[in-house]
Amino acid sequence: MSKINVFLEEKMMPVAGKIAAQRHLQALRDGIILAMPLIIIGSLFLILGFLPIPGYNEWMASIFGELWLTKLTYPVTATFDIMALVATFGIAYRLAEHYKVDPLSAGAISLSAFILATPYFTMFTPAGAEAAIEVTGVLPIALLGSKGLFVGILIAILSTEIFRYIIQKGLVIRMPAGVPPSVSKSFVALFPAAIVIIVVWLLRLIIEVTPFESLHNIVGQLLQEPLSVFGTTLIGAIVYVLLVHLLWVCGLHGAAIIGGIMGPIMLAATDENRLALQAGTEIPNIVNAQFFDIFIFMGGSGATLMFAIMMLIFAKSQQSKQLGKLAIGPGIFNINEPIVFGAPIVMNPILMIPFILAPVVMVISTFVLMHIGFAPKTTGVAVPWTTPPIIGGILAAGGNWRGGMMQAINLVIAFAIYYPFFKVWDKQNLQLEIGTESDKEN
Amino acid sequence: MNILLCCAAGMSTSLLVTKMEDYAKEQGLECRIWAVSANEVNDHVDDADVLLLGPQVRYLLPKMKKIGEEKGIPVDLINSVHYGLIKGDEVVKFAKSLIVS
Repeated sequence: MSKINVFLEEKMMPVAGKIAAQRHLQALRDGIILAMPLIIIGSLFLILGFLPIPGYNEWMASIFGELWLTKLTYPVTATFDIMALVATFGIAYRLAEHYKVDPLSAGAISLSAFILATPYFTMFTPAGAEAAIEVTGVLPIALLGSKGLFVGILIAILSTEIFRYIIQKGLVIRMPAGVPPSVSKSFVALFPAAIVIIVVWLLRLIIEVTPFESLHNIVGQLLQEPLSVFGTTLIGAIVYVLLVHLLWVCGLHGAAIIGGIMGPIMLAATDENRLALQAGTEIPNIVNAQFFDIFIFMGGSGATLMFAIMMLIFAKSQQSKQLGKLAIGPGIFNINEPIVFGAPIVMNPILMIPFILAPVVMVISTFVLMHIGFAPKTTGVAVPWTTPPIIGGILAAGGNWRGGMMQAINLVIAFAIYYPFFKVWDKQNLQLEIGTESDKEN
Repeated sequence: MNILLCCAAGMSTSLLVTKMEDYAKEQGLECRIWAVSANEVNDHVDDADVLLLGPQVRYLLPKMKKIGEEKGIPVDLINSVHYGLIKGDEVVKFAKSLIVS
């Protein structure tokens, strides 16, 4: 084994394994997934509301009336804008499942705790007024969406940890024998739930006297903003794809592992774009979830779609050809385990080079072209990562064909990077095949 | 024989399901084979006689082995070459050998 392989196997694998198996990160990853189908459905309405066709607005208004956009985007609010609520419940549920305590109770308690940490008023500036006034009796919907995502994550973990600790310590209200089990079960969650509520309530009371005023402000300023600022830079994006692909080269699901950490940051970045689109302001984030899923991981991690096509068209060896046939179908839908384990890419000193290099170069090309405005930024539309290239790019750009063009440019880049390595690898396969053939003849 | 497969999203293991079913049919084996994502395993493991993991989620093996011990079913990793080349026959044979032993 080469030095790189030794390093990957001995240094990276154990660390990656620990991160991946860490229970809070696992719950975070699995919990946030709960919000994804909703967001994808909301995206359908978002695309229809903001199709980049000249005269589309006026045309829709002439048919459905002036308020058409408001009405069309009702579902967007009910999907995107509650992602923190849904994620809070999901994370608490998955974490409780891990501890083998009642997940449904843990989910419900964390929802209550999340609302408890959220201010019950919003600031509103009436038309013509100088200063904003406080409107009570409302929950600010922005804080239930991506802006509240990190608070939701922390509250879900905190409340479930308290909940399971108390239950595991046996500090629950026990009913005398003879009380039906379902009745006594309903009391089990009561005491730990009360403790969770009291802890978060005290937390809120304390924070309200500090200059931060709410947990949302603390978490936003100290955690969410710094992480987002770094995560959405070019350097942040390069670091992310390097890590994901180094893990894949070890045969580990890089996106699933790093996704636990990067997932919330990227999801929030996606949603910032969506909010800007709806508000009619400039779209802020080049780097977000769709940036990677749609424009970089084309054909799967490592941007292997072009590699699959090369195997189909240019392969001389039978083995390469066979693998090409096997890999192209799933590859179109961005699934590439046949390539990663079949070629294999894993621990392969030749193929690991383009597998890591191509995505990094594509990050740079996409970032630069979107930055100068040659390609459109993604509009916050959550396109499923299994959407085939070109279609995916057009949808992610909100229906703009130049999103598909950006993907086509990246495919050309991937082709150029993979081709020389493909040739070397295919030649090796061919030599092995000729070798075994002549062995048979002897 | 009920064979449950698991990977990160249950997508790439589902490629394997079709190939495994083909082989099982050929051999006249009564098999139910299905693929789920890692977070759905808990909901499906009760119906399974054996649980197999994709090599890319091998970090989940200790956790899944624990679940397998509780349910009394064998849990193991799918050989990465068989996985990559979608060798349904080999994986069915492997599953059978795990259940027998």
